[in-house]
Amino acid sequence: ASVSAGPLLPLLLLLSDLLLCQSVASLPVCPSGAVNCQVSLRDLFDRAVILSHYIHNLSSEMFNEFDKRYAQGRGFITKAINSCHTSSLSTPEDKEQAQQIHHEDLLNLILRVLRSWNDPLYHLVTEVRGLQEAPDAILSRAIEIEEQNRRLLEGMEKIVGQVHPGVRENEVYSVWSGLPSLQVADEDTRLFAFYNLLHCLRRDSHKIDNYLKLLKCRIVYDSNC
Amino acid sequence: LYFRGFWLFLGQSPPGKPEIFKCRSPEKETFTCWWKPGEDGGLPTNYTLTYHKEGETLTHECPDYITSGPNSCYFSKKHTSIWTMYIITINATNQMGSTSSDPRYVDVTYIVEPDPPVNLTLELKQPEDKKPYLWMKWFPPTLVDVRSGWLTLQYEIRLKPEKATEWETHFAGQQTQFKVLSLYPGQKYLVQVRCKPDHGFWSEWSPENSIQIPNDVTMKDTIVWIFVAVLSAVICLIMVVAVALKGHSMVTCILPPVPGPKIKGFDTHLLEKGKSEELLSALGCQDFPPTSDCEDLLVEFLEVDDNEDQQLMPAHSKEHPGQDRKPTPLDPDNDSGRGSCDSPSLLSKKCEEARANPSTLNTPEDIEKPENPQTSITRTWDPKSTSLEGKIPSFPANGSKSSTWPLPQPPSHPSPRSSYHNIADVCKLAMRMAGASATFLDKTDTCASRSSKNVETGGEKIAVEERAVESCHSKTDQGTAWLLPREKTPFISVKPLDYVEIHKVNKDGALSLLPKQKENSNQTEKASTSENSKEYAKVSRVMDNSILVLVQDPQAQNLASFEEPAKEAPPSLQQNQAEEDLASFTSAPGTCGPRGGLDYLDPTCFMHSFQ
Repeated sequence: ASVSAGPLLPLLLLLSDLLLCQSVASLPVCPSGAVNCQVSLRDLFDRAVILSHYIHNLSSEMFNEFDKRYAQGRGFITKAINSCHTSSLSTPEDKEQAQQIHHEDLLNLILRVLRSWNDPLYHLVTEVRGLQEAPDAILSRAIEIEEQNRRLLEGMEKIVGQVHPGVRENEVYSVWSGLPSLQVADEDTRLFAFYNLLHCLRRDSHKIDNYLKLLKCRIVYDSNC
Repeated sequence: LYFRGFWLFLGQSPPGKPEIFKCRSPEKETFTCWWKPGEDGGLPTNYTLTYHKEGETLTHECPDYITSGPNSCYFSKKHTSIWTMYIITINATNQMGSTSSDPRYVDVTYIVEPDPPVNLTLELKQPEDKKPYLWMKWFPPTLVDVRSGWLTLQYEIRLKPEKATEWETHFAGQQTQFKVLSLYPGQKYLVQVRCKPDHGFWSEWSPENSIQIPNDVTMKDTIVWIFVAVLSAVICLIMVVAVALKGHSMVTCILPPVPGPKIKGFDTHLLEKGKSEELLSALGCQDFPPTSDCEDLLVEFLEVDDNEDQQLMPAHSKEHPGQDRKPTPLDPDNDSGRGSCDSPSLLSKKCEEARANPSTLNTPEDIEKPENPQTSITRTWDPKSTSLEGKIPSFPANGSKSSTWPLPQPPSHPSPRSSYHNIADVCKLAMRMAGASATFLDKTDTCASRSSKNVETGGEKIAVEERAVESCHSKTDQGTAWLLPREKTPFISVKPLDYVEIHKVNKDGALSLLPKQKENSNQTEKASTSENSKEYAKVSRVMDNSILVLVQDPQAQNLASFEEPAKEAPPSLQQNQAEEDLASFTSAPGTCGPRGGLDYLDPTCFMHSFQ
């Protein structure tokens, strides 16, 4: 079934990307190099939310695709417990906790999570190619996620610059050390490494999306979305 | 053990394996899991749910078995963590024993399915000067927190007339209201709405809400659209009819046929009139491409066109009586818009297809020049010579009732057999052409024979040819040695395209050629000389006077006398033409001429003829 959907998925990606581009394009843009140009905070948040929503959709699809193709009957889900490299970052676990965090802290937290994924996403793209019969659906999404993640990071740094300028925290993020597992010879081990990585990516992208939507409604719409 | 066996004897057993079949969160803050009990083993069975969370070792029991109904477990906010894996197990216990279900891995993040939206209201609004529309409004489900942005909802509505079977669904995005414009008056509409969180599942449809559209509501748009549709249909019909009637002329207007090539500087009129010197000198222009000097002698290309019959006819008619008259110049280079029919490459095909499907193509217009006779002696039939066919129509002319000839017909009637008569034209023209290339003859035969095969028009064609032949013949007294048949040739046999042999060259530099003959028809005396042949005449050089100097063949000795009109049976038109040609030469029989092999001609012979 995934094979037959093969030609459709890039098309879907393209369409969703176009929609994304359209929604972004409708927002005012600062010409590069302009010093005093200030995109409003509302627009920055709108764009950030669009990106984070898009990234999570891609991650979810990528995970489902991988699960269907490589993980059936292997019981990976039982092993993917507490195995994300970003677990060390103390993120709120429910709505109440999220609403109690000050928005600056929440923004920094988002930045930390985003930065933690730069490296894994980069390696994911290169290692996915080595998967046996890697479907284009997974590879193309990996590439797209990596790029959008970078853009989201830039946008977040702009937001942080506007929300509380001047405070520049050290670049704290979680180090990912899962590369050897992606390259190991044993197929089962390697596939589980991929499964775990995609599982964590799906989760973290959802967290980022959720936090950003919370922040947007809180900061831009005064908790009245 | 004894008791157990006793109970087993009574058909009782430990409970069957229960199974968790659904876990769901309505707002991403709480969730519920439902299980399906297995066999109860005939004994009252107790079910317990136990779980532990990702990253914890502690096992907990379900905090609430009641709220969500039987066989369910409700996790309140206090017990719910998002982005955390729950490993949940059901234990079924009865007197005989207990059985556990398979553990179920649940992450609340991905099991969000809200309740339907609430408070759906419908209202028919009829603003003045505008179309009336149905306006509907609803509210998000009560439990979902949209204000803080914890969940983002998207909505979908559907409606249908009460009696209809299919729902009409509309996506409403994140807004909580919607307008519907296309309504039928007098109907009662049912409306429902549902919602979906940003990364979750669609809710159920809300309860139906209905509204009655009053009868007096006018939907003016419909009438306008009907009117527009009818108008468009009428216009389309008119256009189709117009295209059907005038389609062809439109197509030729838009897509003019590809013109065929032609040789500039060749004037067929001059040929006919015998002004061969002018003609050939025109052809023999020293500068190449031909300079303007040549153009003076040029006759514009006669474009044989159904519509130009008028034009051509006077020219031709004048030609008949007066030889000196220069033909009316036509546009020399007007080879556009016509002549795709007579494009050289098509000619051969046309010969074959002439009958097969007489098309309504215009007759080939362009008069192309056959290649410089001085250089193309031994060429095979060059389709280019078809250009000459433009002249043909004049012949038959006028007398011909046959629709094969375009000219005589009024311009408004494109000849249905234009392709056919094209061939005939070619053939005729070939006949008329100077011995420049007797390959014409070959082609003529080919065409003629093929055409003659056609039962339908064969007779006509032949008759026409006869007339053509006659009229051609009438012009033979011009002193130019043109290949004009002296006899009628009611039948022209087919001959494959072939090389020609040079028979002789007259003073005008025209080459009389004899066809390569494969068959022997009744030839008279010296015809034999012209029969054997099958060889090329090789041009060694061209002399000033447009004289073609051919390489002498050492072998050939006896020349066929110029007077050797090998009168053949008609099948070989070429022969006849050759004979005529010979007959018209006014030189004493010399030793020139085709030798036995008819391969090379003695150049000196030619010199003779020029005296």
